[in-house]
Order: sequence, then structure tokens, then C-alpha cells
Amino acid sequence: MKNKRLLAAILAVCCTASALTACSNSSTSSTATDSSASEASSAEASSEATSEASSEAASGLMSNEEIIKKAASEGMVGNWGLGNEYEIQALLSKYGQPTDYVTMDFTMDQIDKDSITLASAMTYNELGLIKNSYDGGYSYGDEIGIIDMNDEGVAMLEDMLFCTKAFAEANPNTVKAFTSASMKGWVYACEHPDEAEEIVFKYGSSVSADHQKYMAGEVAKLVTTDTKGNSVPAANVGQMDDEAIQQTLDLAKKYIKIDDATAAAKLQELTLDDIRSKDYLTYDGGAVEKSDVKIQLKWLPQSQFMGYYVALDKGYYTEAGLNVEIVSGGGDVSETVAVNNGTVDFGVTWVSNLINANAGGMDLLEVAQVYQRSGLVLCYKKSMFTAQ
Amino acid sequence: MKIINKILSAKSTVTAVWVLGIVVIWEICAFIVEATQRTPINVLPHLYQIVGSFFDTKPITGGGDTILTLVMSSAAETLSRALIGFIIGMVLGYVLALLMNLSHIVEKIAFPYLMIIQMIPILGMAPIVLSITGDISSARIIIAAILTFYPVSTNTLAGFKSVSRERHELMRSYGATKFQLYTKMLIPSAMSYFFTGLKISAPMAITASILVDTLQGGNGLGCMLSQSLKGSMTRFVFWDIVIFSAVIGVLSFYLMGVIERALVPSKRGKKKKAVN
Amino acid sequence: MILKKSKSLLNILSTVGLPVLFGALIYILWQTKVLHALFGTDEIILPLPDRIGSIISDNFTNMLPQIASTLIVALGGLVLGSLLGYFIGVAGAVFKKWGMGGLTIVSAFNAIPLVALAPVINNWTRDLSNQVDIRSTVAKIITVTIFCTASMSVNAYRGLTEVKPFSEDLFASYGSGKLKMFLKLRLPNSLPYVFTALRVSVPACVIGAVVSEYFAEQVVGVGRQIRENIVKGQFPTAWAYIAIACAMGILMYVILLIVESIVLKNRRAR
Repeated sequence: MKNKRLLAAILAVCCTASALTACSNSSTSSTATDSSASEASSAEASSEATSEASSEAASGLMSNEEIIKKAASEGMVGNWGLGNEYEIQALLSKYGQPTDYVTMDFTMDQIDKDSITLASAMTYNELGLIKNSYDGGYSYGDEIGIIDMNDEGVAMLEDMLFCTKAFAEANPNTVKAFTSASMKGWVYACEHPDEAEEIVFKYGSSVSADHQKYMAGEVAKLVTTDTKGNSVPAANVGQMDDEAIQQTLDLAKKYIKIDDATAAAKLQELTLDDIRSKDYLTYDGGAVEKSDVKIQLKWLPQSQFMGYYVALDKGYYTEAGLNVEIVSGGGDVSETVAVNNGTVDFGVTWVSNLINANAGGMDLLEVAQVYQRSGLVLCYKKSMFTAQ
Repeated sequence: MKIINKILSAKSTVTAVWVLGIVVIWEICAFIVEATQRTPINVLPHLYQIVGSFFDTKPITGGGDTILTLVMSSAAETLSRALIGFIIGMVLGYVLALLMNLSHIVEKIAFPYLMIIQMIPILGMAPIVLSITGDISSARIIIAAILTFYPVSTNTLAGFKSVSRERHELMRSYGATKFQLYTKMLIPSAMSYFFTGLKISAPMAITASILVDTLQGGNGLGCMLSQSLKGSMTRFVFWDIVIFSAVIGVLSFYLMGVIERALVPSKRGKKKKAVN
Repeated sequence: MILKKSKSLLNILSTVGLPVLFGALIYILWQTKVLHALFGTDEIILPLPDRIGSIISDNFTNMLPQIASTLIVALGGLVLGSLLGYFIGVAGAVFKKWGMGGLTIVSAFNAIPLVALAPVINNWTRDLSNQVDIRSTVAKIITVTIFCTASMSVNAYRGLTEVKPFSEDLFASYGSGKLKMFLKLRLPNSLPYVFTALRVSVPACVIGAVVSEYFAEQVVGVGRQIRENIVKGQFPTAWAYIAIACAMGILMYVILLIVESIVLKNRRAR
């Protein structure tokens, strides 16, 4: 008897919910988009961007500039916000458009349903989902076109390793040991993306194996190619290219909007030396000051962070005398906050997030730049931007 | 309690019709969604799909968990945090109500601030609590406690105040000490109000624990829910957790009723004017 | 008489004065960083009040549109949720047998994690409009409405049904019809209960609006600013918006108390 009542209660809640759905649906005329492209293989994304665009030109596809202007004027440009929006804002400004964007949730539902036409995507994650037809994918295949931030000259560097300046000064050997072991993990992961994918999966990732594999391949490209498209040799993985970081800093100063006058002033004063140090890239074997360390990722456990999982699994951390725990992120206690208050020792974040946090009064220091180029693209359905 | 008794007397047929009606409406909506949307499971899946997914044997994580085992193991973690938070919140709320009843000064000072604390978003509170505890797990418990003690303390206080002046005077005429006043009269009379507070805060403790899970990674229900929403695992995990947490929430509400009946046998059909 | 008056004056003074004094004490402890030492936290996470104050005063004109947006969502949801809740309460009181089932179900809303619903509600309203501000506002108002419905329906039902038995008999003896009894007896009787419900849902609607903004498609609102700034590590600005959210909730609560005292006083005088 009681169970019945419970069930009734629960179902009723859902009932009201669905009644609301019915309301919203009755006023719609949205039709499912044809998914004939679903058989398309997991096409390569970022690096082919330019050539793809030029070959499409003949078929009446608009230029990047036209696409951006059209989408921006209609208010159809999407991004996730929360510090991920600066490159998009820089791009919009480049073409003289207002920097407003629509917040995307962490799916591609909005571009799927045409409620936005130009969606932000990471080459290794959302772009794979929208193109591919594996579980969770939207199967658009080659119907999806992309605008690459690196090609547009508004690239800001993303995933990198950091800790607090105080921690680095107090534990230089720990930081060096951790950094070099991590980079060793990254080198191995980029050379063996399939194996890396399996390791990540083993460490509790819930991302589907197919998507994980796609991600590993795309992430490897970001680690081993710089913003100009030159390849980065294994020995230089983690290097900090001053020019690229300077560009990131310059764009950050322009597009990070801070209400707090003190922080805003501090942001403008930041120099490269305030945000990164090259002193910790190589480890020459001193005894580590602190052996139990934690690292918080920027997002959920997935191949985006395969280097750290590989280093853990292959014992690179143990060899360096470290006992490492990997804490996944993606919550609202961001990695900068967690590192700053000492809950974890290291963090993975985007350079712009670190700049933002330092402007706000934290004292964080980048010790290795893992992604050498921007993985952010804007993607669109070609059919939406083909001149008739 | 009268209301609940009324439901009990008329419920069986009513419930059956409600259940049927809801299922029908849900399914109609689900069919509309299925026909018009490209990704129906992100909007409104069929009920049978949700129930079916719960018992799907396909592993969804690298650890070989199915949805069922994943939800259950996450639930164990989240619900144990909720329970500890709830107990702390309950004790705290009760003590505060006692203090507020003992001293008008405490009441006048505490009451507005209790409300203000409830108004501070968890997001603002979390980093502070985290920096105090230095450990996300205990920070989660503390936040759950903060979010749950308010209904307990306001309702219990209302219970203390509901005792009529005549009864106070009667006790005093018997020469009862303050201690006796509380143990013999006030605390027993406030019992049903206290449980009203518990009935409100028990589901809240669960909701709050799920909410604070999303602050950082880990293994709780909230973490799985947000992973599912962020597209890193099937969306059915999200739907299953929503349904599951609703069931647990309602169950916790009834559990408080059961405990009340067990602990307070003298519970007569008193009228209650509790908050909410 | 005079004694009584001065006593009530003293009462009012202490009701207002004591919390203010306590607040001042907290302020001093906060500003002098004693609070930081106590909590073991730093000025980055818990910025000093004067810095928060200066951020608010420096940016108040920029903050107005954010506040307005949140206020629209909170009030819209409060009104809709209260109306819906009251309607459900009435339905429960009129059709006792069937309405009660619905009422139980509405109460179960409390057990659902609202945060979980907010993103799904975005999916429901997506086809409503091409204008992101319209569909996003609708989604947020729906969320707040759900937040405010339950307490109103339960309290309205109590107010409509828990009338004094003798007054029911009195009306019956006058030969009043059911409708008349409803309008003249039950509706006025439910008024204090409506205010009881509002005391819960007024603070709740602000919290609901803030939370719904976290997930909304449109980048606007006090709640959204709180989240953006916290995630980006701009705590002073985030706290400025938190202070605004608290102030909004308290202000609305005070207005409610004033309205309540006026309405219920008139009623008693009658």
C-alpha cells in the first residue's frame, strides 16, 4: 500500500514535468534533421580545417568571416562561459561583432536543434560527439564545418600544469619530479594513444571507449603541434612557448572583464614571469620534499588528461619518489581554488583561468604547458551557411 | 496527522487512478518528444526506457559497473554523507531551538541570521567551508548540515511556543523546576513539531548532499548526475538518479513518520500549525 | 498603560537592536581579520567587507540589469508558484478525495534535487522561441515556480479545511450554500496560512532564481555572476553579488512581514 502511494507521488512529479513539456512542444515545429551523414567515419578535425574550407568554397559555403558575422548578428553563437569564453570573444571582436554569447550546456543539443548555429567545441570532445555516430554522438559527420582559433590568430593556450608559487619555492624537487614524470607520461601517451585510452578507462572514466579513443588521438595532436602547426618533438613536450603564452596573456588582459577595480588593475600589470616559470621542467634527481601529492584535473576523468593517468599507471611517479592521487574536476570548486587553499598540490587548468585567479589575488605558477595549441573551435552545420 | 489519515482512508482507488493517469500523460509526452526531437532521451525518455536502463547489464565504466551498481555505490556514499549531515543538523537545530527558547536575547540575535545563512548560496559557502576543513568529504557533510538545521530549529521553537500559558502556570503551581518544566512538558509537547521539522529536512538533506557532490569530482550521486549531464556517460544515468533520489526523498519523509510513531506512542491527533 | 507602551517599545528596540549589534560585532571581527584567523581562511576566499562594499558601489549601475533580471525571475516564479499552489490547495479542499492525491504528489517535489531539473527544463523550453532571453527566462521561471508551489498548496489546503467546527455549523444553520461557505468562511480563513506559506517561499524564490541562473542559457542575473566569479576565482566580486542576493531576499521578506501585519491586522479589527 505504502509503496503504491510512493510510486504515485513520484510519478506525479514527473507527470507535471511532462505536462510542461507538452506545453512547450505544442508550440513547436522543430523537425528532426536528416542524419544520413551518420555513417561518416570519425573524421579528422582540427588540422584539416583550412583545406576543408577552401574545398567547400566551390559549393557555396560562406567564408569564416561571413559565418561569424551572420551567427553573431542573430545572437546564435554559443559558449560555456565560466572562463572558457575569451577566445570566442576575441574572435567576435576581430570581426567587429558584439561579444555576447549564448550559454551552452555541456551537450551539443543546442546546435543539434538549431537554437544556436555556431557552437563552441573542443576538438577532442564536443567536436567528436557532434560528428561521430558512436554512443552519445550526434552523427553529423562532414556536415559539420569548423573555425579554428589557431588559424584565426586568437588562440589562447589551454591545459597546463600549475601549483602555487609558495609550494614551488618550498618544494622545488617535488615540483620538478612531478612535472618531469607527468611529461614522460604525456610523451608515452601521445605515442601510444590507444594504450593511453585503455589506461584512462581503467582508472574509472565513464566516457565511452569509442569516444575515449577519438579523444586520445585528438589530444595527442594538441600536445605535439603548436599554434602555427609545427610539430613539437617529444623532448619539448611541456615547453612554454613565450610567444604563444604572451598572446594568451594579451588576449586575457583585453577580454577578462573584472568588476573589482583592484583585481582589474592587477590583471593589467601581470607579466609572463608572474604566471609561469620554466625552472621546473627538468628534474635532476634531488630528494623530493613532499612525497604524497594530489593533482586536481580541470574536468571529468577522460583522455584529455591521459598523460597523468599514464604516468601513474606506468609507475613514472613512483620512480620519482612520488605517491600521487588524481582528483577529478568539473565541479564548481575550481582547480585554482583547490590548489590555492591547499586541498590539492597541483592542478590542471587553462592559462586564462590562472591569469584570472592571479588577478583576483592568488599566487599561482604555471610549471608546464601541456597543450601547445588551442583545442577550441567553433563548429556549425554547413547547410546553415551555404549561400543559395 | 488528520490530513494523512484522510489520505490513508481514501487512497487505494485514488492512487491507482493517479498512477495510471500519470503514466498515460508521461507516455503521451514521451511519444510527442520522440517524434519531434532528435535526442529524445535528453528531453523526456519513455518510462519503460528509464526503468529498463536501470537493469541494463551493459557495463558503463571502465570498472565494469552497470548503471544499477554505479547508482547504488554512489548512493551509498552520498546517502551516508546525507545521514551524518542530517544528524549533525538535527542536533544543532534542536540545541539552537532550546537555547532560543531559554533566552530571548539568543532568539532575537539568532533568528535573522539563521535566515541569512540560508540565503547564502552554497557556491559561496563551499570554498570557505573547504578551506576550514581542508577536505572535500567533511566539507560536504558540514554544508548538508547547514542546509538542514533551519527547518528543525524553527519548527521545534514553534513547538515550544505552542504550549499554552495555562499549562505553564499549572506546572509552576506544582513547583516544577525549569529542568522539570522542559523534560516533563515542553520537550514532549514539542515532539510532533520537531518531527514536522525532520520531515521537511530529511529530503532536504538528501537533496543537499546531491547538490554538494557536484562541487568537486568524486563518487557521489551528484558527481554521476553531473557527469551524465555533461555527456560523459549515458543520459539514462541522469534520469535514473533523478527518479532514485525522488524515491529516497519520499521514503525518508515517511521514515520520519514511522520513527515518530515508534518514539511518541502518546501521539494524539493534535492540530499542528508548523512552518510549511 | 505607559508601562505597557514602554515595554513594547523596548521589545521593538531589542528585536531590531540586538541583531544589529551582533551584526556590527561580526563586521568588526571580519574587517579586523579575526574571523579569518578563526576559520583558517584567507582574504581571497573571504574578502574584507569594505572591499565588497567598494565593488558594489563602483559597479552598482552595471549590477542593476542583473538584479532586475533576477527579480523578474524570482517574482514571476513566486506569483505563478503561489497561484498554482493555492489552486491545487483549493482543488484539494473541494474535491477532497482526488485533490488530496494531487497534494501528496506536490509535496513530493521537495524531495527532488532542483539543480537536477534546471538543465532539463532548458531542454523543454528550447523550442519555445528563437530569442534566447525569452526561452531562458521562461525556463528559469518554471524552475522557481516548481520551487514555490509545494509549501503554498499544503498551507492553502490547511487554511481552507481547518476552520473552526462551530463556524461551519453556524454557516450551515443559516442555510448557506457550499459556495457561500467557501467564499465567506474558508477563503478568509486561509489567509494567515497563505502568509505562513509565503514566509517559506519568499526566501526560497530568491534562492531558486539564483540557482536556476547557474544553468540558464542567457548570461545574466545575480546568480550567474556569483557562479562565474567563483569559478574564475574572483571572490570579492562573487561576494558582492552574494551580498546583493541576500539583501534581495531579506528586503522581500521584510516587505512580506509588513504586508502581513497590515493585512492580518485589518482582518482582526473586522
